[in-house]
Amino acid sequence: MAGDWQELGQAAAIGLIFAFLVAKLISTVIAFKEDNLRITRSPPASPTAASRPRDPAAPSLASTDSDSDWEGVESTELDEEFSAASAFVAASAASGTSVPEEAQLRLYGLYKIATEGPCTAPQPSALKLKARAKWNAWHKLGAMPTEEAMQEYITIVHELFPNWDTGSSAKRKGEDSAASASGSKGPMGPVFSSLMYEEDEGNESELGDIHVSAREGATDDIVKLLAAGVEVNVRDTEGRTPLHWAVDRGHLSAVEVLAKANADMNAKDNEGQTALHYAVICEREDIAELLVKHHADPNIKDEDGNTAQELCPSNWSFMNPTY
Amino acid sequence: MAAPNSNDAASASGPAPAGEEDTSIEALARRVQEHMTLASNPTARRHKFWETQPVGQFRDSTDTSLPDGAIEPPTPLSEVRADPYPLPAAFEWLTCDLDDDALLADLYSLLAHNYVEDDENMFRFNYSPAFLRWALKPPSFFRAWHIGVRAKESKKLVAFISGVPARIRARDDVVRMAEINFLCVHKKLRSKRLAPVLIREVTRRVHQENIWQAAYTAGVVLPTPITTCRYWHRSLNPKKLIDVGFSRLGPRMTMSRTVRLYKLPDAPLTPGFRRMELRDVAAVTRLLRAYLARFVVAPDFDEVDVEHWLLPQEDVVDSYLVESPETHEVTDFCSFYTLPSSVLNNANYSTLKAAYSYYNVSTKTPLQQLMNDALIVAKQKDYDVFNALDVMENESFLKELKFGPGDGQLHYYLYNYRIRNGIKPSELGLVLL
Repeated sequence: MAGDWQELGQAAAIGLIFAFLVAKLISTVIAFKEDNLRITRSPPASPTAASRPRDPAAPSLASTDSDSDWEGVESTELDEEFSAASAFVAASAASGTSVPEEAQLRLYGLYKIATEGPCTAPQPSALKLKARAKWNAWHKLGAMPTEEAMQEYITIVHELFPNWDTGSSAKRKGEDSAASASGSKGPMGPVFSSLMYEEDEGNESELGDIHVSAREGATDDIVKLLAAGVEVNVRDTEGRTPLHWAVDRGHLSAVEVLAKANADMNAKDNEGQTALHYAVICEREDIAELLVKHHADPNIKDEDGNTAQELCPSNWSFMNPTY
Repeated sequence: MAAPNSNDAASASGPAPAGEEDTSIEALARRVQEHMTLASNPTARRHKFWETQPVGQFRDSTDTSLPDGAIEPPTPLSEVRADPYPLPAAFEWLTCDLDDDALLADLYSLLAHNYVEDDENMFRFNYSPAFLRWALKPPSFFRAWHIGVRAKESKKLVAFISGVPARIRARDDVVRMAEINFLCVHKKLRSKRLAPVLIREVTRRVHQENIWQAAYTAGVVLPTPITTCRYWHRSLNPKKLIDVGFSRLGPRMTMSRTVRLYKLPDAPLTPGFRRMELRDVAAVTRLLRAYLARFVVAPDFDEVDVEHWLLPQEDVVDSYLVESPETHEVTDFCSFYTLPSSVLNNANYSTLKAAYSYYNVSTKTPLQQLMNDALIVAKQKDYDVFNALDVMENESFLKELKFGPGDGQLHYYLYNYRIRNGIKPSELGLVLL
């Protein structure tokens, strides 16, 4: 019989194991990703990606939802605490912690009220002892309000397990965000997929420190390296100068620093392309204009015979020879 | 996670006939947990909920005596529950009339703010209102299967699930099925556990139409996928994809070279390549029926279906074909649908415009060339990326046309229909939206 009651405790709360497990799953997945996907995901692809806030709440959402719409409807702190408490009960029942029978039934009834409302299910046969006892526990609570049921449930859990929520608030916070993330995936439906591997084309090129600094837009480091005697037009294995890298990644201030240090505006990489070719191909108009101002030549042909002037969008008037 | 007695919990937990279904979501969570701990040992996995359901079971996967086909016979219609399942007190059911523009706007808004996101919450699907109408109102659709939940007080739409009817052939058997999709619960209500009751309710309403099978997809593994597909992505606008974080640039790779890598011609290359028109419906239907017959599981399209699903609609579905300049015979066909996503929290971009490969048939033009032209028109129309699953013969062109593998896997399921041993993605001829 004792075994039955323990089962009952598990049964009463097993539904809530959902949130708990998904939270755990998601945090594991996130941890997994952070451990493993770094291989392909580092460093952050762009400055915006690195600084992107995690909270996805779109501004438009706030504008479409006035707070009054959600009165009595949205998930409250009570909901959250109730979810946490019931998940805890489910977990402890699963791990074999014993709870008095009476409390188990009480928790079961409160859980049903909190999640489904008053009991409308038909009374099970008297022969089904367990089912009948559970049904009675639910039914006798009548039309108890949901909030009251949640509150009492939490109170009972506090009495049974005074330390149940000693897990730090940081941990709870983590579960909250995990829960919202889990909701985004959903139990069925389509999947949002994005590219697994980064663009590198089996690239074997080797960069010097100053190329890396230029790529990252680290202007202070560029200045330091130049001051330490690094040649401003030094090539990487693909023939690219620091200027090529700064232009490629769109770092205007790094381009300015290199221009000021008398970088060769018309240096060609191994494919015959100048930094201005890069600016045009990557559609970096402000940088292209800056390069032209520093006398970059728009009429140099690359190995395919294309000049930057020919490749550029027609509305870039500064690229025209008359400019 | 042992998680015993979930059946016990279910049997006491709700209206008797569907009590077990109560735990579908919980079972799902447990399933996923088990999957993590027992990943390499399928026979050790347990699915308390799904083991009670008419779905293919892992334990049966080596039993060759089980026949393909319905797992359970239909129930008499009189035994299908007559009333909607109960909702929590603050909510009520709403059968959605998608001809009502205001309601369609509400549904659009619910999905645009609360539907599927990537794991890192950088993107969220943004199905357009016109797309939703197209997806949910195919020939002979059932309005009762457009199921909303709204808050009683504010009348605000807070959750949704849908089914649409389809004839799907599995081997030699054409079966009336429901395609289940667009299950969405408002973010503020995720702890209210509305999803299980939505699934039960749509199942009930499908049964009421004397339909006993369903097709659906999921990003998670349940018993038992008929197949598991992978998404592949072809960059059309690599700079934007990198800027928004859809794609990443290796530390030794230049943006300049990446842009050049994905550059496409300005116009399609195949002579006679043009947009499909109404007059092409019969020819396209013939091509498609002949082609889809090759696959183990595929829709059974007639001309009415083709007109709905494949006749181009701007920013919903695009279809192109090759009409022989000499004979004027339609020899090849390709199509894609438009599913943009919101870009969350990016200073420069708010939308990612994606084309999804739909149905493609090649008889004269090589498939790779046909799909290259599809890429070219998608690029012309300003799509940022072209996505394709590795279904049908897609694998034959993915790598060659510079598609890269995606991080998303999509599992296909049939409810109450067994396909022994499952099938390969290349044997699947069905694309769910």
